[in-house]
Amino acid sequence: MTDADESLRKIDAYLERLRRHLRGMREEDAREVVAELRSHILDRAGDLVSIPVVDSALAALGPAENLAGEYLTDDLLSRAQATRSPWLILRSLFRWASLSLAGFFILLGSIVTYALGFVLAWAAVLKVVHPQTVGLWSIPQSGGDYELSLHMGFAAPPAGGRELLGWWIIPFGLVVGLGLFFLTLRLDHWSIGRFRRSRALRTR
Amino acid sequence: MTIPYRDENDAPDKWEVQLRKGCLELAVLASLWEGKVYGLEILRRLETVSNLVVSEGTVYPLLTRLKALGLVTSEWVESDAGHPRKYYALTRAGRERALEMARVWARFSASVSKLITPLERKL
Repeated sequence: MTDADESLRKIDAYLERLRRHLRGMREEDAREVVAELRSHILDRAGDLVSIPVVDSALAALGPAENLAGEYLTDDLLSRAQATRSPWLILRSLFRWASLSLAGFFILLGSIVTYALGFVLAWAAVLKVVHPQTVGLWSIPQSGGDYELSLHMGFAAPPAGGRELLGWWIIPFGLVVGLGLFFLTLRLDHWSIGRFRRSRALRTR
Repeated sequence: MTIPYRDENDAPDKWEVQLRKGCLELAVLASLWEGKVYGLEILRRLETVSNLVVSEGTVYPLLTRLKALGLVTSEWVESDAGHPRKYYALTRAGRERALEMARVWARFSASVSKLITPLERKL
């Protein structure tokens, strides 16, 4: 194998590794990234494609995994900003959480709020199926205290408890539950947009 | 308090790194001001014109981000080198952004320059 062949093999191996780590990105975009970097490496190598020159070009680009990570994060954030899909938004938040503490707290807050919204909306739906047990209950505790508990209808009504909302749990659950869900979605969208904008200024 | 200009390994200190990072977007947009340019050309311009040595693995994702933000466009052009090159050009929004950033930068550097005038004799 000649020096030039070995150099080209190294370039192919690097780009193949990059391509593998770009999984999750749109095929067309991943192809474009690989093509651009191939062009860059060849430009850098110039007329004499040799092993030291290629090694130096690949070293300057950094590990393929890290480079792919940069592209993937941007791609995910950009798609999350253009979508209403909570799944894609959550995936972006997970990615952001892996990069910074701010992202971690936003992810945590979002999960809690999504879960609360889902539980309230689900309680509204279940009220129709188990009208006797589903609802927001006030349960007397020792010492004259009361505990508020949201029951989903999978157990008997709490002894001595009083249901607070009755059928109002349906509009309440739907409005507050869906409201929380969409508000969190909007906030996530906004914060992802800000994070994405700030990344334009960020370098590794 | 002493802020060392260089650390033991002669690497730029954190402040200098942050300063370079902060102006990278402006530098890339400015290097596209006069027309379309491909990635390696941008890197060379940054290095020769402004002595801004940037990691190659930084510039390409940054260009993709700028494109996603609508500040630049790109097109593949066949070259004499035997392989196509991806050229970038500023969009209208990119030109406005570059101008806005250049204005802020000019104001900022002028005001800091005034402050450091007494230090200039020591440089």
